[in-house]
Amino acid sequence: MAAFEELVRRHQHGLFSYLYRMCRNSSDAEELAQAAMVRAWEKLAGFRGASSFKTWLYRIGTNLCFNLRTRRKPTEELFETMAAPDSARPEQAFQQKVREEVVQRALARLPADQRAALVLSVYQDMSYREIAETMGKSVRAVDSLLFRAKTNVRKALAQDRAKGII
Amino acid sequence: MNCGQVKRLLPPFLDGELSGRARDNIASHLASCPACRADLEALKADIDLLEQAGTPEVTSFLVTRVMAEIRERGRPVPHGFARLVGSLAAALVVAVSIGAGVFFGSGLAQASTPVAANSTEEVVSYVESSTTGMYSMMSGGD
Repeated sequence: MAAFEELVRRHQHGLFSYLYRMCRNSSDAEELAQAAMVRAWEKLAGFRGASSFKTWLYRIGTNLCFNLRTRRKPTEELFETMAAPDSARPEQAFQQKVREEVVQRALARLPADQRAALVLSVYQDMSYREIAETMGKSVRAVDSLLFRAKTNVRKALAQDRAKGII
Repeated sequence: MNCGQVKRLLPPFLDGELSGRARDNIASHLASCPACRADLEALKADIDLLEQAGTPEVTSFLVTRVMAEIRERGRPVPHGFARLVGSLAAALVVAVSIGAGVFFGSGLAQASTPVAANSTEEVVSYVESSTTGMYSMMSGGD
């Protein structure tokens, strides 16, 4: 059990960060991260090693997140933005907060599968093969998802740039 | 390669997912096409913006809550995992013993700290790096 606890420590930040980007609020992200790790423990005997432990764990988290979205009505979704960090330079802190909100909005407009692929690529630095293992898709499908995700994000960011927000 | 083809391949090109001829063809096209170079720079700027947006820190209690829930559920250590840990520990002891025998036998021995053959760190590293090996060991243990 000590070994599994160490695995939890190693992956908690990355998994939470991924799930935060997916569900857009930290409360849900923590609940899902906890649920994913507990389920990973329960299923560990069945882990066949066909993928890495990380992609296998993240796949559990992805499925839990998708199931939560399916169960939850759209009006129940929470969309929080991070509090601006304490800073001796308030203008810099304000700009960071604006960037965070712009990014959250852009990601929120993506379909869930495009968002998952993009977040895994940009924030988890996964290869297309690792993303494919995590999402249970082919590499070709991941390539298509990422192309569409980046195209859609570009459109969203272009609108904010046109308004002078960023 | 025309601009339409190149634009479609800019994301995997930027992600380092292309190799060989495809990568070289795109690089060659970019060297002579300002429009596609501008597209590539715009894509980089978008990704940079995404990367700059941070995420909140996970609570320091997550590990505690996970392990508490596992213990509360009262499940025994999964049979396969217990066997795996035992097998890994045994394998590491053997490997270290063989290595130590070669090391000392070669006359190159220097003062060093004894290796903890079955430490948590080594088990975790083995699990994370050796997926095929882990499967083989689990299968062989049945």
